[in-house]
Amino acid sequence: MSNGQTSILILDDEPIVSKRLKPSLEKKGYEVETFTKGADALQRVRERHFDIVVTDLKMEGVDGMQFLSEVKEKYPDTEVIVITGFATMATAKESFNKGVFDFLAKPFKLGEIAEVIAKAEAKIKKG
Amino acid sequence: MTNFLHRFGRLFQRKNQESVPFKILFADFKKSLELNNQILDLIAATNDKLSGDYIFDERFIQTKCRKLSDLVRELIVTINHLTQQKYPELYNTFHQIEEDIEAVLQGKILYSVRDYILDYDSISRKVVDAVGGKNAHIAEIGSNLDLRIPPGFAITTAAFSAFRQENSFENLISETTKQWQEKKITVKEAARKIQQEIMNSTLPEKLERGIMEAAERLVKKQEETSPRFAVRSSALGEDDVKSFAGQFDTCLNIPLEKLAESYKKVVASLYNPEAMEYRLLQDFRPNEIMMAVACQLMIPAKTSGVMYTYDPVHPETETIIINSAWGLGEPIVSGKIPTDHFVIERQPPHQIHEVRIVHKTERMMLQGDKGINMEPVAETHSVESSLKEQQLTELAEIGLQLEKYFKKPQDIEFAVDQQDNIVVLQSRQLGLQQEMAPRACDLTRLVEKYPIILRGKGHAAMGGIAAGPAWLLNSDGDLGDFPMGAILVARHASPQLARVIHKAGGFITDIGSTTGHLATVLREFRVPAIFNMEDATSVLKTGQEITIDTECLTIYAGIVKELNYYSFHEEAIEEMYEYRLLRRVLKKIEPLNLLDPKDENFTPRGCRTYHDLTRFIHEKAVETIINLNFYHAHNRESQAGQLVWDYPLDLILIDVGGGIKGESGQGIRPEQISSVPMHALLRGMSYPGIWDMSPSKVDFSSFMSSLTRTSATNNNPEEVGRNLAVVSAEYTNINFRLGYHFTVIDTYISDNMLDNHIYFRFSGGVTDSTRRSRRVRLLDEILSFYDFLCEIHGDTVVARLKRMNKRSMLHRLFLLGLLVGFTRQLDVKMINDAKITIFFEQIKKIMEENNE
Repeated sequence: MSNGQTSILILDDEPIVSKRLKPSLEKKGYEVETFTKGADALQRVRERHFDIVVTDLKMEGVDGMQFLSEVKEKYPDTEVIVITGFATMATAKESFNKGVFDFLAKPFKLGEIAEVIAKAEAKIKKG
Repeated sequence: MTNFLHRFGRLFQRKNQESVPFKILFADFKKSLELNNQILDLIAATNDKLSGDYIFDERFIQTKCRKLSDLVRELIVTINHLTQQKYPELYNTFHQIEEDIEAVLQGKILYSVRDYILDYDSISRKVVDAVGGKNAHIAEIGSNLDLRIPPGFAITTAAFSAFRQENSFENLISETTKQWQEKKITVKEAARKIQQEIMNSTLPEKLERGIMEAAERLVKKQEETSPRFAVRSSALGEDDVKSFAGQFDTCLNIPLEKLAESYKKVVASLYNPEAMEYRLLQDFRPNEIMMAVACQLMIPAKTSGVMYTYDPVHPETETIIINSAWGLGEPIVSGKIPTDHFVIERQPPHQIHEVRIVHKTERMMLQGDKGINMEPVAETHSVESSLKEQQLTELAEIGLQLEKYFKKPQDIEFAVDQQDNIVVLQSRQLGLQQEMAPRACDLTRLVEKYPIILRGKGHAAMGGIAAGPAWLLNSDGDLGDFPMGAILVARHASPQLARVIHKAGGFITDIGSTTGHLATVLREFRVPAIFNMEDATSVLKTGQEITIDTECLTIYAGIVKELNYYSFHEEAIEEMYEYRLLRRVLKKIEPLNLLDPKDENFTPRGCRTYHDLTRFIHEKAVETIINLNFYHAHNRESQAGQLVWDYPLDLILIDVGGGIKGESGQGIRPEQISSVPMHALLRGMSYPGIWDMSPSKVDFSSFMSSLTRTSATNNNPEEVGRNLAVVSAEYTNINFRLGYHFTVIDTYISDNMLDNHIYFRFSGGVTDSTRRSRRVRLLDEILSFYDFLCEIHGDTVVARLKRMNKRSMLHRLFLLGLLVGFTRQLDVKMINDAKITIFFEQIKKIMEENNE
């Protein structure tokens, strides 16, 4: 959390998700980087730390579960928020087992994700 | 309800082991109702996503559409099962609609209209996919604002498609484009090849005739003696921020007989090299490459020009920029001649900041039969200002009006005709220079200095930023003097407010549903709106300048310029591909065209959307159950009869187990009804005191007759008697069609609390939408007060209640009885909002007095 700004990485293969989330979160004062390709996101995560990671689970050619595992392994303090259109109890359970902060089913409201991110941020700041 | 089917099966077994047929039929009937409800709920929930408040992707749209297709297909199977395959044509209609939906999902654009030609007075933004942005905008300006536009008509994308198909140059286009993209030929070669092919093609005969007829109609209407036309492009996406400005051809001073030729020329310019390259860069899907064409009467301009409602490089200077010169606009727009330059203040009285008059040596003029030509300007004239001071003010007012109407800074082309009238030729969103936009991450800091009036309450009905003076709607509800660009603040989101949507900068309400009618219209006109802010009307004052940010649910005091500039740069959510797609696909799903079952179009073939199919099937399901069990009574296991009552309620009762005592030979008297839930409902419906609360005396029998007769002229019960109640000792299912109202009640009430449920759906109505929405609000308030879980979609109320003890459930059925009898009257009596409270109190009183 350098310069006091909370950093967020967003990974979703549907461009509209980043396109909508980035300005909305930046407007709330977050530092945001977005990716539509898992490999690029992974590379970026290896380069630097993010306070919060928002990722889809089911994407073309990327395993979101694998991505979030790697993030949590490298940075246990990073809070991961999962967004997905195909939520099953099993995937939800698996993500929580991996230490995911919260789970949002698509489609969600901008306000809903902002709320979850604010909670994650509060947890980090308290942490 | 599935639970219920199971229990219902057991009821039958108790009554008669051999009675399979009706049991199956009724199971089908119940299933059709269940599907009907699911479909309508899903349609409403999907439309809600257009508010911009949700993040959804293409996959979401596909999933929802396919889910809907599955449900509708199942509904058709069910009705055919119920009616022994009486409606096989439903499958054809369904397949056609499903195919269309799939095509839209694949990115195809279906023509919302099949007409080749649409006159400007019949065009709105709803048909933008058919006429293109330029036509849609200019036509709307003509019909909704008090501004002059060139009279004209649109040649639609349907015409374009017919032209393309008849000449089958599809292949040549895709082949040539491929060659270019593979760098085998240059873009210029590709363009030349395609354009040659288009110019050598012939127009479909029907199209050529259509163009000529429309032009002649226009000439006659305008009483033009020597008509000349301007033929302009109106391609899809051309008027967006991603602008194709100047990439397509315009043909000027065209005589009637050359219109067809000019049409081809404009269409061919769709394949100008710049346009081809531009499309490659942008997110244009092949199917979105479509050209509609604008055909307008030529304005013999004295002066022409371009106006920007903001300085695109320095919006913070709050100025309007106007460039103009003598003659027609083409050399001005394309920068071929120098122009006079004016900078004026956006704020009235529009003080002039800067005037730069240039030496204008040339102008483009109409040359009668010889087309257009550049001609020298007389020396005395050449250094004179091409616009008068008073015209600058007039232009500024026009610019601000257009900006308020379209909600974004505008780039406007105008002409001054020989009578000195200003004519708007085109208006589209002005792209501001990106670097000047405040960065989103700086916004928090930038807007800190503005006091917050309200924050964190409510729901966004339509996303966006709006700034302007607040305008409070007072209790008399008079919208007459609502000023252009103001932000409307009202207690309720009632549909009557839609009247000022085209003038409003934004909307705020204390109370309101984001799935209601008003929200739908706000989305259509893209007016930022927050509903349910709770106390906006008590905090805000008329004339107070405010800024609303729907995303943060915040109202700031003052005009927050930083947010305003920021929003100018934001890509309009509704222009994103996913939103375009959802809007297109909903056109095949949501509209309800079948209203009157007596209409000759009330047939499987008349259905044009999934909503139509659902509506048709519900009507037929109820009709079938009545016919089979009452008029033809072939089911011996069930007893059916018409209710004989003091009131002429055309109600057919079908008893499926212990719901009716004794014989039904002479009809069924109320005291014969042993169905516990039905009894409670009837008690409510016939409650004697209820009618006294109306301000004027209502004659009960005539009222009930208007309530129950679907048509005053048609008294044949076989045709009007579509009110049906299927009852057993513990169960009642009611389907009422009272005029244009629909009421469905499904309820099971026993001593076992866990099994108890009530489902209530009420929709439709004959009065104006304002009164209907008051009725919806009253129902919502009353039902919620009595513990129902309510959902409102437009003028439909769905209320559910489960798992209460028998006594409480019956008390609430009594309430439904009161409401069913009462709501039709409400349509007429709900003359103002105060009535809602009065009726509510009276209902509460009756409920207290009758709580046995």
